[in-house]
Amino acid sequence: MSGKTINLTLKVWRQPGAKAPGRLETYRAENISTDASFLEMLDIVNEGLTLEGKEPVAFDHDCREGICGMCGSVVNGRPHGPERETTLCQLHMRHFADGDTVVIEPFRARALPVVKDLVVDRSALDQVMAAGGFISVNTGQAPEANSLPVPKDKADLAMDAAACIGCGACIAACPNASAMLFTSAKVSQFALLPHGRPEAARRALAMLAQMDACGFGNCTNHQECEVECPKGISISNIARLNREFIKAALGSAEELPVIK
Amino acid sequence: MELDSKIPGGPLETKWERHHFDLKLVNPANKRKYEIIVVGTGLAGGSASASLAELGYRVKTFCIQDSPRRAHSIAAQGGINAAKNYPNDGDSIWRLFYDTIKGGDFRAREANVYRLAQVSNLIIDHCVAQGIPFAREYGGLLANRSFGGAQVSRTFYARGQTGQQLLLGAYSSLVRQVARGQVTMFPRREMLDVVLVNGQARGIVVRNLVTGEIERHAAHAVVLATGGYGNVFFLSTNGMGCNVTAAFRAYKKGAGFANPCFTQIHPTCIPVHGDYQSKLTLMSESLRNDGRVWVPKKARDTRRPHDIPEDERDYYLERIYPSFGNLAPRDISSRAAKRMCDEGKGVGPTGRAVYLDFADAIQRLGKAEIEARYGNLFQMYEKIVAEDPYTTPMMIYPASHYTMGGLWVDYNLMSTIPGLFVLGEANFSDHGANRLGASALMQGLADGYFVIPNTINGYLAGTKFGEVTDSHEAFKESEAEVEARVQKLLSIKGKRTVQDFHRELGSIMWEYCGMGRTDEGMTKARKLVADVKAEFWENVTVPGSHADLNQSLENAGRVADFLEFADVMLLDGLARRESCGCHFNEAFQTEENEALRDDVNMAHVAVWEYAGEGKEPIFHKEPLKFEFVKLATRSYK
Amino acid sequence: MTWVLRMFSTSIGKKQLMAVTGLLFLLFLTTHLLGNLSIYGGSPAFVAYAEHLHALGKLLVVAEVGLVVALIIHVTLAVILFFENRRSRPVKYAVDKSGGGGRTFSSRTMPYTGLLILGFIVVHLTTFSHHIVDQTTRNIFQIAVAVFSQKLYLAIYLLGVLVVAFHVRHGLWSAFQTVGANHPKYMPFIQKLSIVFAVIVAIGFGSLPLAILALR
Repeated sequence: MSGKTINLTLKVWRQPGAKAPGRLETYRAENISTDASFLEMLDIVNEGLTLEGKEPVAFDHDCREGICGMCGSVVNGRPHGPERETTLCQLHMRHFADGDTVVIEPFRARALPVVKDLVVDRSALDQVMAAGGFISVNTGQAPEANSLPVPKDKADLAMDAAACIGCGACIAACPNASAMLFTSAKVSQFALLPHGRPEAARRALAMLAQMDACGFGNCTNHQECEVECPKGISISNIARLNREFIKAALGSAEELPVIK
Repeated sequence: MELDSKIPGGPLETKWERHHFDLKLVNPANKRKYEIIVVGTGLAGGSASASLAELGYRVKTFCIQDSPRRAHSIAAQGGINAAKNYPNDGDSIWRLFYDTIKGGDFRAREANVYRLAQVSNLIIDHCVAQGIPFAREYGGLLANRSFGGAQVSRTFYARGQTGQQLLLGAYSSLVRQVARGQVTMFPRREMLDVVLVNGQARGIVVRNLVTGEIERHAAHAVVLATGGYGNVFFLSTNGMGCNVTAAFRAYKKGAGFANPCFTQIHPTCIPVHGDYQSKLTLMSESLRNDGRVWVPKKARDTRRPHDIPEDERDYYLERIYPSFGNLAPRDISSRAAKRMCDEGKGVGPTGRAVYLDFADAIQRLGKAEIEARYGNLFQMYEKIVAEDPYTTPMMIYPASHYTMGGLWVDYNLMSTIPGLFVLGEANFSDHGANRLGASALMQGLADGYFVIPNTINGYLAGTKFGEVTDSHEAFKESEAEVEARVQKLLSIKGKRTVQDFHRELGSIMWEYCGMGRTDEGMTKARKLVADVKAEFWENVTVPGSHADLNQSLENAGRVADFLEFADVMLLDGLARRESCGCHFNEAFQTEENEALRDDVNMAHVAVWEYAGEGKEPIFHKEPLKFEFVKLATRSYK
Repeated sequence: MTWVLRMFSTSIGKKQLMAVTGLLFLLFLTTHLLGNLSIYGGSPAFVAYAEHLHALGKLLVVAEVGLVVALIIHVTLAVILFFENRRSRPVKYAVDKSGGGGRTFSSRTMPYTGLLILGFIVVHLTTFSHHIVDQTTRNIFQIAVAVFSQKLYLAIYLLGVLVVAFHVRHGLWSAFQTVGANHPKYMPFIQKLSIVFAVIVAIGFGSLPLAILALR
């Protein structure tokens, strides 16, 4: 808590709608407390725009605690900005210097089209999840919780993978706009737990097929996703998905599903 | 308004089971003939959508976020309670029931709370089977910890992000049903009205937040799981999108609103530090397992915490509540912090904060152990405050966190509108006047996984449905009203922003209807809120159009509803002539400044019925009968 | 057997074919280097190695055909992946990031180093392959001396080796990662091996013409 304030020049991507062309607009952000979060800084700019009778910048956000995965823009070329393991809502202005120019762009990928300004459509991620990101258990079917022990190291690894907030920063960061980190985190979580093994092969193939169908790029191991992931999800999960794929493709009777 | 709680008779332990048998069933082949609308995809809405779809109902699910995975349940940190008694420390369903009803200061229904404790174990079984990576011991079995306000270790947790994991579990079950075609998902839709035909809830009207289109959706029953109204305080730990609109629209259509003044103020939040601030961040209550809360003994002591010697510190929770100490329930801890700050002992730049100190725990357990337990929380604190909690005590202050009040529901979770069910935080049912830690997740999932799938059968099987489509006259009327309101908001073109009004409302409510309340304050607040409301409708500015993504417009609608709702909350606060749980009216307190309940006159649920524009709502009460527990004064000393 | 085709036309399938063929080339590079190091035993040792190699007869042909098939797969998939990946982000960022630290020079340049290597292989084969260059009148040592005496060719060769080294620096660990061999205990070693291997390739192959020129 420093009580310092800074002035910034913002270049913000403005795009009225999905089909409309967009461009970078320049705004001033003045007297911003360095204790404010990045989104609070945008709130202040938006209040100013509103009072000038202009449309404020649309951006997705909700919990502002770094867990809902709703926020996220590319700040000076980096998803969620310059701090490691930090979502945009948890990024504070003390990490910027007075007089900085800050370029704010939406996450860009063919599979995540812009809806408006900084808001993108991430429904492709829901589609990948719907393809197999679950364990098929109906309410009421479950056996007693402790009937199946899970080695602690496996449970911890599963938790590491499960920490994914589905924000899409991995895709935004990937030079190929690949969704492998997102997909592999979910596949890994379930592959590591005995509860998830029965449908592991089916899940890996189904989620992969859906991921490909959504138009994401291919993983070429740049490791950008891991570096930019606000939850520090490891690319060892991608390797695990690769392994699960081999097991499923060559070692199981499961077929690759056809995506319509 | 008739308030029949429909609580089954007989012994407490078998009420739920007997009720199962008494409820009519819908033949499996007939289930697909019924359509059910679920609004909200948090723990309650997500689990309800999935479970209803598993049964074979056709479900349409709506959420305001871009994906059902983002509902604010995701931010719950600490854990979920269950009466498994794995640690062998004397827990039982009865004890969980008793703790919960006592924690709620005896202002909840026995039967509902007992049912909650009963299904708590099933929830853990189900969530483990869903692949939720709960914390485990080295032997591979589930770990437990103790949590605010409980003397047994009954809380299951997944690091500091239990809510996230449980929500993603419900979400994964939900998307599985989306893939099967049993659930149709409508994200980025905001419910703006519930549509009644012949007195039954038969659908909703929503705004498509991307295209601005007003859409009509018809169904046989409507389930609201739209969360709480904590954002009436503007600054709260709720997500920015949390709002009262869906519940309030239902209220305006005839659903009773119960106990709106019961709002929980959570003791361990990061203090307010600037007027640009948009929200408050909760630090999990689990921190109080190892952290010690203190303030300087001397008022207005501006020394750095390290410079204050041990004997000049007041570990006030340990002093006042020796048996619970730092684990005293939320309402108790919050008020104690407020008292300390009111006495001038608060710390930090604003004087509205107390220390939460880990020095002893680090000395006892080592830094590595503390890091293992709370690493992510410490990291979050450091990100926000830019101070290292390993070396400098954390500063915390209470903040609005959860709302126990909500739409009135019977034992079947049906509101006073037939066919309108309300789950999770949106209803009032299980927490009474105060919620214990790790109980919200339990309740949301109990309602969604285990209660509604059973009770809705009874309603559907026992009700005659006329043919209703979305071209029915009632839908047209509702749509026209919603359209008119949207146009009205856009046409005012005043001089103040929506957020500005919201902030003003919040500061009034926090000041007069927050942790400490008085009759004069609440009366004054009614006037102030009325003035803000009047100005809002004349001087708000909402830029942009109705026909695309317009976040200002979304917020304007929500704030407009908060402005109206705030008055119901204040009325309820004034009408409750006692202090209980989180509702603390300074006129009703013991000599030791604790809440003074009036069990003779006030052991009831206060229910408010909308009486029309500009009219005071009508007050009803549902008396609370306690057949199985003895009402005791809550003491945590 | 259409399932095989379908499995390996997925994004992971394609990548794994890239990885497996890539690993095959790494194996080839290793044996190629080991064999060629016989130069340090002088001209007779080097010529003897070449003769032993050619004496393998059909076995050598099988290996050669295998390498060509692997090359065709590797290159074809590389082209497909390159264009697919370009298509996956139609609108580029205004600011290309700096300082994140995931990408390396090697990983960034894989498609381009790959293309250069392809060109280099063609040049290299036309100058050294016993299928193309008549090795009956001159032995391989004499051919090498003649070739490396040309400054232009020497430069192309050294550059080619450097390009291979960069390609390998990302390719090696990447191939392990892609076939799923990422383990907390071994991955750090594999990561380092990538760099060490790249350096060995650069120095090992890079020193050969110098040795030849010194020995002539």
